[in-house]
Amino acid sequence: MPERTSKLTTMADAARLVPDGARIALGGFAVYQHPMAFVHELIRQKRRELTVVGVVNGNETDLLAGAGCLKRIESSYVGLEKHGLAPNFRRMVEEGTLEMVDYPEILSMDRFRASQENFGFWPAYFLGGNDLLRVNPEIKEFECPLTGRRVWAVPPAAPDVVVIHAIAGDEYGNIMAPTRRLTPQSLDLVLAKSCDTVIVTVEKIVPTETLRRSPHLVEIPSYRTTAVVEAPWGSHPNAVLGEYTGDDEHMEHYAQCAKEGGDSFSGYLDRYVYGVADHREYLERIGLQKFFELRKVEVGQ
Amino acid sequence: MIEPTVYEMITVALAHDLKDGDVGFTGLTTGSAAARFATSIPLAAAELARRTHAPNLTIMLAGHFHNPNLSKIASLPDSEFSEELRDLECEIQSKGFPNHPWVMKRGDISFGFSSGVQVDRQGNLNSVCIGDYRKPKVRLIGPVLQPEHFALFGREYIMMPHHTPRNFVEKVDFVSGVGYPGGLKGRAELGLDWGGPEQVITPKCIFDFDKDAGDIRVKSIHPGVTQQDLRDATGFDLGPLDDVPETPVPSEEDVRILREKVDPNGLLLPQA
Repeated sequence: MPERTSKLTTMADAARLVPDGARIALGGFAVYQHPMAFVHELIRQKRRELTVVGVVNGNETDLLAGAGCLKRIESSYVGLEKHGLAPNFRRMVEEGTLEMVDYPEILSMDRFRASQENFGFWPAYFLGGNDLLRVNPEIKEFECPLTGRRVWAVPPAAPDVVVIHAIAGDEYGNIMAPTRRLTPQSLDLVLAKSCDTVIVTVEKIVPTETLRRSPHLVEIPSYRTTAVVEAPWGSHPNAVLGEYTGDDEHMEHYAQCAKEGGDSFSGYLDRYVYGVADHREYLERIGLQKFFELRKVEVGQ
Repeated sequence: MIEPTVYEMITVALAHDLKDGDVGFTGLTTGSAAARFATSIPLAAAELARRTHAPNLTIMLAGHFHNPNLSKIASLPDSEFSEELRDLECEIQSKGFPNHPWVMKRGDISFGFSSGVQVDRQGNLNSVCIGDYRKPKVRLIGPVLQPEHFALFGREYIMMPHHTPRNFVEKVDFVSGVGYPGGLKGRAELGLDWGGPEQVITPKCIFDFDKDAGDIRVKSIHPGVTQQDLRDATGFDLGPLDDVPETPVPSEEDVRILREKVDPNGLLLPQA
């Protein structure tokens, strides 16, 4: 029997699948489960002119913005939840150096469903009077041909590349997700169906035999996955539900550096992104003690 | 004699506005003042309503956790999608978009709560920016779920932890939640078939709306706040206030249920 093709690759090679100027959708939500190791690699590779298309974005987007990788964001929220506003995002939008296109939250999710269904637009009936229409010429009003109702055609998310972080998958790109999940995990699965270039970073590559014992937990099939990368603690400083909690101390440090900007923020980038060759060196820099503190052990889940 | 706090007064007033069979939606807001107004007070009010006149009311924490048992946790969570919330005892836990149990666009959600940096006399809310959109003086978090709250929910309670002329303005700089431009008729012309702001609740007063005229009005003023205090704190003309009643002092029974049953750990409302 001929050998099945492995999709296991390095973070550096996976990041090269994202060209300059791409529309990129990053999994996770607010300050939860973003593919941070991948984001760091994009910054190291000095990717430029990216558009982040998302739903509820957080530190991953603020970091990319501060590192000069972004020209535009399409989302309903950019912020750091309990850690406050997203400082780089805020400063750059106020300066006029970063374009923000605001969308309502559920509609931001629907835009990915539009891409999943290969729709040319998503119909929204509830936008009348909202200033989002005034500032977004890409949303077009039309009359429903059946009922005469006012409808707005909203452009699909249309990401060029989707990147999500999951707990486990095999080398062929079958990806597992826990049954007990919340919006960050569920939304990742929507993202994975919205695009034909899907990169998944996983906490651990497991043998296909392991998946075959729990096939009901495999939510993304190998044939939807373009590349899979093993990245233990790959969402740090974010939490991965059921695996580890968020690193609040690091997030506060990040927020402080981003708020101060200038040397303070370049110092952060030097220490945690440019000053490390890869994700392994990043983990060494964070240090074992921190991972002992953040680790979750769930018995019987 | 129980001396109710202003938070308890607001909570009880809100509880009396909630109806049996309602389905309510709270976000998880962070920051102490904002969280108290947009999350804690709504949760306490809904639970009080459930225990008094509205046994069939459903309240959702963070849109995910139906009828949570808040007596089981030591502090109000400040993280929306942590294990702490995942493991909170509740009646239904949503798996999240697109598999929520509720159907928002068909009108399942009876009421919700939101907050922003500016609200105006039409009841429009702004959480996007101060100044020009393209080059704002201050860029804020974004619209989040406000457009949906103000168009698809039955009633929206705007919870404003600060009542200053900066927050209460003649016209918001950006409409991210639509109030009553042109009144109910105006909303209908915009394609908004139901919903809209019901009340605006602040530390000084409660507003409601003349929905036909599309204009905000003071419904009640909290005890201890003078008409002049209120005018000084508000960036638009409040009109005559002489006939406006005081916000009712809650009954001892309501306060007792709040303190003993709804919030025995003092998690939601400070009791002093």
